[in-house]
Amino acid sequence: MKPRTQRMIGFFAFAVLVVFVAVLPSFVSDFKAREYSYVGIYLVALLGLNILTGYTGQISLGHGAFMAIGGYTTAILMAGNEQFGGSVSGGVKDLWTLPVAGLVAGLVGLAFGLPALRLSGLYLALATFAVAVAMPSTVKRFEHFTGGGTGIQLFGTDQLTGSTSNVHVLGRSFTPNDWMYYLAWSIALVLFAVAWLILRGRTGRAFRAVRDSETAAVSSGVSLARYKTLAFGISAAYAGVAGGLFAIASAFVNPDTFPVALSIYLLVGIVVGGLGGLAGLVFGAIFIAFLPLWAQGQDLGSLLPNRIVEETQKPGGPAIVYGVVLILLMFVLPNGVGGLFRKIGQLVSGRRYSRSE
Amino acid sequence: MRRRTVLLAAVAAALGVALPTALAGSTSDPGVTPTTIVLGGTSPLTGPAAAYASVARGAKAYFDSVNAKGGVAKRKIDYRVVDDAYNPAQTVQDVRRLVEQDKVFAIFNTLGTESNLAIRDYLNQSKVPQVFAASGATTWGRDAAKYPWTIGFQPSYAAEGWVYGQYVAKTQKKARIGVLFQNDDYGKDLLGGLKSGLGRSGSKIVAAQPYEVTSSDVGSQIAKLKASKANMLAIFATPQFAIQAYVFANRLGWHPLVINNGVSGTSNIMQLASEGGKNRVVEGTITSTILKDPTDPRWAKDPGMKQYRAILAKYAKGANVNDVYHVYGMAVGYETVSLLKRLGANPTRAGLMKAARSITDPGNPFLLPGISVRTGPGDGFPVQQGQLQRWTKGHWVPVGGLWQSKRN
Repeated sequence: MKPRTQRMIGFFAFAVLVVFVAVLPSFVSDFKAREYSYVGIYLVALLGLNILTGYTGQISLGHGAFMAIGGYTTAILMAGNEQFGGSVSGGVKDLWTLPVAGLVAGLVGLAFGLPALRLSGLYLALATFAVAVAMPSTVKRFEHFTGGGTGIQLFGTDQLTGSTSNVHVLGRSFTPNDWMYYLAWSIALVLFAVAWLILRGRTGRAFRAVRDSETAAVSSGVSLARYKTLAFGISAAYAGVAGGLFAIASAFVNPDTFPVALSIYLLVGIVVGGLGGLAGLVFGAIFIAFLPLWAQGQDLGSLLPNRIVEETQKPGGPAIVYGVVLILLMFVLPNGVGGLFRKIGQLVSGRRYSRSE
Repeated sequence: MRRRTVLLAAVAAALGVALPTALAGSTSDPGVTPTTIVLGGTSPLTGPAAAYASVARGAKAYFDSVNAKGGVAKRKIDYRVVDDAYNPAQTVQDVRRLVEQDKVFAIFNTLGTESNLAIRDYLNQSKVPQVFAASGATTWGRDAAKYPWTIGFQPSYAAEGWVYGQYVAKTQKKARIGVLFQNDDYGKDLLGGLKSGLGRSGSKIVAAQPYEVTSSDVGSQIAKLKASKANMLAIFATPQFAIQAYVFANRLGWHPLVINNGVSGTSNIMQLASEGGKNRVVEGTITSTILKDPTDPRWAKDPGMKQYRAILAKYAKGANVNDVYHVYGMAVGYETVSLLKRLGANPTRAGLMKAARSITDPGNPFLLPGISVRTGPGDGFPVQQGQLQRWTKGHWVPVGGLWQSKRN
């Protein structure tokens, strides 16, 4: 009875989210739709990272690098790299590059999963961090393939849907910003459902078993090698799709667009959203998409006193606000937003239990 | 429990908050009202390049001082700076926000080569001016015909490198130069310029070591350059790494003649690099500049620098007056105000670009005397002069007259 009610609530919440996402652009300015599309993009990356870290217990500080792989796959497929002396002619429409971005990043993730088997805890975190640190130099090293530090410009290319004019789909006309929003969120919601399907069954149970105790998992017949590499692969594929979307939304990639800090922000995102849960990740995505802006008084300028806003706009100011907010949030919500949801759930069901007794 | 709900509610509310957009009059372009003119720009305020934040701060202080005197054509300049953490993807987001949500009149003084490249196509497509891009890439001036809405300010890095090459070719017989350069367009343009400036002279580059802007130090690069038996060191690096280069060279007991690029060739940086006088590698360093140096006693009574100190003290409280990036910010702020003045009572974006393409400013109070700011048909480079100077006993001493670059 209880799991079923839980699942019903889950379905209902997801339906509300879908409807909310679908109608939101009608209520906000055209530009806001573009900013919210980044929430969808980060959500995809967080879903992937949470499968690996939250459900399987493998810390990754290198998911920004997997996003970079996806982003560069998309950019090179769209614009080609012949202008730097490469051999890819490009010309693939943006939408069709996304599955490839996911696939390429996923394969790299699988490959990385193999050495990761021998590492655990902090050592794995360090190894993945090394990947993130090495990524910008690697991209610059293969200049003929990636365009080096100058990067790849996508704005104005024929492959970018709606960079300059409205997009017509199924007889409806979307502004470029609305188009980006619906593209990012459709993919995010589909991948949300896919993540739920993966995690609810046998595979999800195996992931959790690995997380909770590797010894117990092995003795129950769960193959560590298989499930750890699988988690890495799925997780990296999600990051790859997110990276591809990120490249499309920014219409530009270069090594600095996927800095080391991005990997750390993603980890912050799943911690704020709540490890080992899916619903809270939406808030984690909002957090990493908007806190850098809010931390410098953007959007809140009319709510905060002028003096405070001025302080945040001094050199280093936004970083201090970001840190303070993060500390406060962890203090108030030690298990993230997902933890809050679970607590509310326990309170509600707990009361019902005592009443029926 | 209640606090958590409040927090959640606050987050949800903030999500929906949209800034009231600056409404434009019916005849003018966006960002212009009877009382204000809105300029927007990005700058790193956080991250590895946060030191550059002083540029935007200097410009803002200058605008505030102009506003205090009534603004331009009775309009106050509202200069909005957004942090991009030196990440071009963030610059794209920030600039779209400034253009589409804040409805700025123009994008001004956006910092960084890659950041400016990332937004150039978008701004030219949207016909929004990208004025005085704070970067020395050659493309801003060279490609003015293809990107009519974009203009830079400072001499190109390629021209600066060329000047160093010419200087070495003239003053040294057989210099062996080791180059430390940042592995991006900025470092490579300087390196390329140096090569072409050396030409067929007896001096040559014997080693060139790149570093990443995200790396923590350049110790191994300096060791390799020393091992190449170079007797000159060219530092084409940002301040943090330039200081390290001096410190590591000194620790290795290597005393080459140093060329330091203008980005890091400011006296406050040099003083840090000199480690309180213990590091003798700094002595005799050659650099090039366009700005008046706040620590230079020559400008103690200069009206421009007096104005600089007064404005900074009043409108940027707590700012380090010796930080020459503030001077750069004021110089571009001054030039922008001159442009806006020429637009008269009804500024338009097209008018701003027309003015920016026909600057004839014989002198800017924050630039060195004799440096003119000029643009015209076929000339998309506002500043094409500079001054070589040598670090002598804790101060910059000019070397020769102003250099003039025909090549960019």
